[in-house]
Amino acid sequence: MELTFLAESVISGVLLGGIYALLSVGFGLTWGTMQVLNISHAVFAVLGAYVAYWCFVKGGVDPLLSVPFLAFLLFLLGGAVYRVVIRPVTKARDTVMGSMVVSFGLAIVVENIMSGLWHPDPRILKPSYTDTSLFIGEMVIGKGPLIGFAMAIVAIALLYAFLHHTFTGKAVQATWQNPTGAVLVGINRDRVSLITFGLSIASAGVAGVAMALIYSFYPSVHNDWTLYVFLLTIVGGVGSIIGTALTGLLIGLIMGVCAAFLPFIWVNILLFALLLVILLFKPEGIFGL
Amino acid sequence: MRDSILELSTEAPRPRVNTSRAGLIAVICLILLASLPLFRPPLFFLSLLISIFLFVSLTESWNLMGGYAGYISLGHVVFFSIGAYTTAVGMNVFGASPFLTAVPGGIIAGAVAAIVGYPVLRLKGAYFSISSLLMAVIFQLVFLNWTFVGGSTGLWYKLMPVSIGANRAIFYEVMLGIALLTTLVVRHVERSKFGAGLITLREDEDVARTIGINTAWLKLKAFILGSFFAGLAGGIYGYYLSFIQPDITFNINTSLLILMMAFFGGCMTWTGPLLGAVLLSLTNQLIVTFIGAEISRILYGLILILLMIFMPNGIVEFLRARRSPR
Repeated sequence: MELTFLAESVISGVLLGGIYALLSVGFGLTWGTMQVLNISHAVFAVLGAYVAYWCFVKGGVDPLLSVPFLAFLLFLLGGAVYRVVIRPVTKARDTVMGSMVVSFGLAIVVENIMSGLWHPDPRILKPSYTDTSLFIGEMVIGKGPLIGFAMAIVAIALLYAFLHHTFTGKAVQATWQNPTGAVLVGINRDRVSLITFGLSIASAGVAGVAMALIYSFYPSVHNDWTLYVFLLTIVGGVGSIIGTALTGLLIGLIMGVCAAFLPFIWVNILLFALLLVILLFKPEGIFGL
Repeated sequence: MRDSILELSTEAPRPRVNTSRAGLIAVICLILLASLPLFRPPLFFLSLLISIFLFVSLTESWNLMGGYAGYISLGHVVFFSIGAYTTAVGMNVFGASPFLTAVPGGIIAGAVAAIVGYPVLRLKGAYFSISSLLMAVIFQLVFLNWTFVGGSTGLWYKLMPVSIGANRAIFYEVMLGIALLTTLVVRHVERSKFGAGLITLREDEDVARTIGINTAWLKLKAFILGSFFAGLAGGIYGYYLSFIQPDITFNINTSLLILMMAFFGGCMTWTGPLLGAVLLSLTNQLIVTFIGAEISRILYGLILILLMIFMPNGIVEFLRARRSPR
């Protein structure tokens, strides 16, 4: 009995960790390639969740079907945001700090537009399959988290394939490794930044949908999500997709184990303290490249 | 990106504004500000100014590390909260007036800063920022679960036995004093060897160490000094709020607001945070009052975005560049 409880806790932790990993991958990508620390990252995840939610409620479109369409939409939105908001700030003396401030403003705007349009009450995506569970022996695993996790893994794999096996993806990687060198060999840095930012926002949107299958969401929930994004990115090493993904699973595992033994609030204290210690002794991230 | 050393040296022979006249104007403004409660302005106006003074003090003290040394802390609220909790506990347990315990509150905040800062200040750049954010989260969670300081229900202060008008006026004068003190100290630091050391460290920490600056000690000193003032301001401001609770005092948005004010004003001079704190607080308040809370947040965010797009290096540098085209 005790053992099944522990196993359930660990599995749900890992499933959640996978979704956090997808949420963080895009954030690390913009930070690594563009030196842009995008605080509004998780706000677009919430936006994605809302779009999927309305598609489902108003049009009856299953979230699994609307996700590709939604990713494309958010990619375009991300490109537009880059052109209008982010690009002027990359000319500041301190891009990291300037982008932090400007994206903080962006987060406020998007969050408040969302709560103005759709009211700040919590919602949850409930397609038919989220209420059912999978039974393995004595263990019970919800199908919602499983499907969310699968979505996250597929999206991360697609991103990885794009970065490592396409010409454009390699240009993104080159810019991340050496911006000046990339420009010298003829890579259009502006174009690369546009694509990176669009992809990052699109991946955030997909992660938002995956989250919405497990937890309720409301416009200001992005503050909590952002915290996890920071953690995973730092611990995984900035700009390393595999590192971030593994960190997500690891943190999920730790959360799962702790949740089985400790009251919920101490799980967070322990987790953050652990991460602080990791930061102090290995600031380049445990999977840092 | 790293051309500020050059900029500093080219700016040095810049013709100064008549300093004695500027000083005179500043003193007259201060006397007017300090005598404001005598004219019995609406209470709302005093509370607005009190919150501006709070942010001037917080932003200036944050700027010691965030601006001059370039160590952007997202945990400044921790020291503010420690100050507030010290005075609240002092009042509830020992019956001491917060006006007496505010200074010890600042000292405790400084001591905590020393303990926390010693390991955390070894990190640089965004790593430092994020670990300071983590620190703030941990402190918040601990305070939420620590029943001695009220846990999640928070702590109340006993009200002063005076009328509400006199109450506001007292807090107004004290907060004005704290804001003034912080600004003067930061201004003094900026012009001293200490400040020069911090700026050198910002430009290149390795070079700073090579020319014999004890960077670790310098950073720690600035961190402790900044935290002391945050604790001092927190101690008094908590009493003014009369109720504190971890979700209010440790709010991450406050940390981000401080950062934005400093950055918006321009964080290489003491005037930048001052301008940023005053302008951003005023804008926020004016929008809320005259346009309505509903869309005020959206407008606030939009203004922030537009200002950053057009003045990516802050207001002070923007004005300077306009005034003296190089």
